[in-house]
Amino acid sequence: METTTLNNSDGPAWASWLGVVAVLLGVLLACWHANEWMKLSIVGDPPFSVADMPEPACDEDEMEEEGLTLAECRQLALSVHDISISAPDWFRGFHMMVSFAGFVIALISILVGIALVDYRRWAPSAAFLTFGALAVVDIASFMGVVNTGPLIRQMYLWSTLLWFFIHIVMTVAAFTGREMERDGMPATGNGHG
Amino acid sequence: MQRQTYSRTAVLLHWLMAVSIFFLFLSSWWMLGLPLPSSEYRFREFPFQLHKNLGITLVFVLLLLLYVRFKHRPAPPSSEHMKPWMHRLAVLDHIIIYVTIFACCLSGYLSSSYSGWGTRLWWLVDLPDWGRKDEELNMFYSDIHLWTCWILLAIVAVHISGALYHAFRNDGIVRRMLHL
Repeated sequence: METTTLNNSDGPAWASWLGVVAVLLGVLLACWHANEWMKLSIVGDPPFSVADMPEPACDEDEMEEEGLTLAECRQLALSVHDISISAPDWFRGFHMMVSFAGFVIALISILVGIALVDYRRWAPSAAFLTFGALAVVDIASFMGVVNTGPLIRQMYLWSTLLWFFIHIVMTVAAFTGREMERDGMPATGNGHG
Repeated sequence: MQRQTYSRTAVLLHWLMAVSIFFLFLSSWWMLGLPLPSSEYRFREFPFQLHKNLGITLVFVLLLLLYVRFKHRPAPPSSEHMKPWMHRLAVLDHIIIYVTIFACCLSGYLSSSYSGWGTRLWWLVDLPDWGRKDEELNMFYSDIHLWTCWILLAIVAVHISGALYHAFRNDGIVRRMLHL
């Protein structure tokens, strides 16, 4: 059977690993933002307040099927208010907009990651801009969440900070790789020889 | 000469499936934290229908991907870049992924079918219920759905680890599925 010999000199090592990491994290981030968008559209503005919420349906068969206790079943009904009671009026629209932007840029980062592995000439610059844009989205999200109540802050602040630092690492990696390529430095070497 | 990379359609379908599978995991963990359904509490309606629609569609996308992969099969990687035992492991990993995706989606649909909650495919077509409401069968298929999904997640982690290994080596293997 004929085998293929892939040429590993097509792109530098940094582009290969950064590209694959970008694709993997891009997939996860796109899902995260899409789920956030859905979450806010469904529970961001519940049809009733905590004061006049109806008695939750805690059917024994359903609870057994999902492994819930009665206390957990009642708590689920209360938890749909976590976002609405801790958020200012502007938060739902703002966070849905941020989630939408994050989703679109995360999809773009998947394409940019593929372009890095496939080593297109424009890929390092595109990666720098895309990962930087994701970091900006994280900053916007962080600033929005900081100005809400404690229920929302405990939900989002840490994960947003984590994503921000991941995107900072990726942005700096893309910038450094691009600079090394421009300077003609051996991007695959260890710097000792 | 056989091409070195998977076809563009296969690449697109592969990444479409990747996004869908992770979205199904993430959204399912969230939606199971919503209140149990009743006439007043209808928060679960949309996410559950979306979950079922994506899962059913995933089976068709998987079948399409398999068709495209077998029709436009790239040349196997050389032993210089991939040791034979690694290649065998990768083939086994792929087979388990495909089987578990299929089992996970099918058991989810069957569980739903016996739960008494109907499925409207993309809010357009009411799918037939294959059985009456049967709590025991619902639980049986629900357990299969749960465990096949955990297996899928574990095997996807192995799959990703393999991709990262080849990416860090820069041996060109990942470029087969990361090609524009």
